[in-house]
Amino acid sequence: MDLSVDVGGIRLKNPLIAASGTFGYGVEYEGILDLAILGGLVSKGLYLEPRDGCPTPRIVETPSGLLNAIGLQGVGVRHFVTDVLPRLAAYDTAVLVNVCGDTVDEYAEVSRILDQAPGVAGLEINISCPNVKKGGMAFGSDPRMTHEVVAAVRRVTRLPVIPKLSPNVTDITTFARAAAEAGADALSCINTLLGLAIDVETRRPRLGFGTGGLSGPAIRPVAVRMTWQVARAVTIPVLGIGGITSAEDALEFLIAGARAVQVGTANFVDPGVYGRILAGIEDYMQRHRIASLGSLVGSLEYPGLGPDSERPA
Amino acid sequence: MIGHGMPSNRVAPLVRSRRLEGPYVILTFEHPEVGREARAGQFVMMKAGTSADPPLRRPFSILETDPDAGTFSVFLKAVGQGSRGLSALHPGDVAQCLGPLGRPFAAPEEGAEAIMVAGGYGIAPFLMFSRELMRASKTGRVFYGGRSASDLQVRECFDALGVAVVAATEDGTLGHRGRVTAPLEAHLDSMGDRPASLFACGPGAMLQAVASIARRRGLPCQVSLDPWMGCGIGTCLGCVVRLQGRGEERPKYRCACTEGPVFDARVVVWEGETTSAAASGDA
Repeated sequence: MDLSVDVGGIRLKNPLIAASGTFGYGVEYEGILDLAILGGLVSKGLYLEPRDGCPTPRIVETPSGLLNAIGLQGVGVRHFVTDVLPRLAAYDTAVLVNVCGDTVDEYAEVSRILDQAPGVAGLEINISCPNVKKGGMAFGSDPRMTHEVVAAVRRVTRLPVIPKLSPNVTDITTFARAAAEAGADALSCINTLLGLAIDVETRRPRLGFGTGGLSGPAIRPVAVRMTWQVARAVTIPVLGIGGITSAEDALEFLIAGARAVQVGTANFVDPGVYGRILAGIEDYMQRHRIASLGSLVGSLEYPGLGPDSERPA
Repeated sequence: MIGHGMPSNRVAPLVRSRRLEGPYVILTFEHPEVGREARAGQFVMMKAGTSADPPLRRPFSILETDPDAGTFSVFLKAVGQGSRGLSALHPGDVAQCLGPLGRPFAAPEEGAEAIMVAGGYGIAPFLMFSRELMRASKTGRVFYGGRSASDLQVRECFDALGVAVVAATEDGTLGHRGRVTAPLEAHLDSMGDRPASLFACGPGAMLQAVASIARRRGLPCQVSLDPWMGCGIGTCLGCVVRLQGRGEERPKYRCACTEGPVFDARVVVWEGETTSAAASGDA
């Protein structure tokens, strides 16, 4: 049974990737989980310099979901390259790095540093964090800026470039096309949905930052729909993300058109989630006599549309 | 990761459930690593079942361990979704448990009396800590505060260890009427020059009050903080608290789960304050 997939030039031994912001820098899970079980992992978002992040409270639970405003607290790219990357080299898993910036130049500079670092399999470009005042989602909610950031990163690296798209837009396919035209090798789809939770006793937001990003099973149908739309709009591979907690959830994304998937919030709930999902996918492939996972990708039979018919209006 | 025994993620069966008064319950789970390696002040991230509601596990202080039986117990007040789900478990049912996590209490200074101050279910880590003190031939005393007598559970466990418990209740149904800090201060006054180390676990306002007493009297004080936690292992960055060590220019956010939950009270930047005692230089 072949679980391996190729995503924009990155060979993954299985389609499960730990999502950025939910897996630290990977090394936090040493001893709790064998990191080699992962197809890959994406680091917490990194800027040039360390960042403090948002005031507390930073996380609240909502129905089947998690609303967070962490604000990209992080160690900075240089510390990551010198202190973390060498430790990750011990594991047979693809290490992707989530790249952040307040400006186009910062995205390019962080990418240039990572391009020179051994052990990086690809760059995920964070143009969709809803919890920072500058950069972040601003680059992901204007297609011209999306194009500009992705093109700037493209110019400085030969590593696979994977913009992470924001769902907080009217038509996500516009952004998918802008990123593809700018030279992206694949797309991560989606980041969190912008939300607001209110403490009715104090009439204040429940998060210190105010609004936050919603993740977890609550957003899964939205993420599956967007993955399906994006996969039909572009020819580059799509990484599906949003509320995956089981094999069935992961399979939904693959059938919708994702070449691989990222597991996010479920990392907090159960570090053992990868073993369960992999076993479930293998069981599914056996039951449906699927020899290679690739044949499942984009196999959705949508009423009125064949698997390969035109994009819906 | 934290140097106090690697945490282990297990689906742990409930061995015993002991219902106490009101919403309080003691649950004992089979989990060899926690049973063997946990130390006082550490915690376990726990959740009953695998449903998405509530999505997250909850942190619980470890009340007791039995290394031989490979079990640990937690003392909890079933008030929210997470704790209610756990308290409804029957023997044989399972919970997802990741632990032991976090930094434990450090031993009191040589010759000092360990003065433990607990508010409500903040008593949990002090039973194990008392055992550690007794094993090391140190002396300890507990100041235990709550709203009412029914909120001061598991007192009798300390009697068996020979550790005195001084109770304080806001409604006066047990011990001193009022806040726990009043009998604490009275005891510290009575100690004269004899050395003491303070340890506190409970509501934020109580921790802040105890830290302030310790600072005024120049006593060492460790506090166990209890912010909302997402993962317990330092990846979600949801449980950060503001800390500022001596010589640090400004406070920094640090994870309570991996760098705490037990901290030196002097480095904590408390609610409503802009700097820590350590940084302001008078501690």
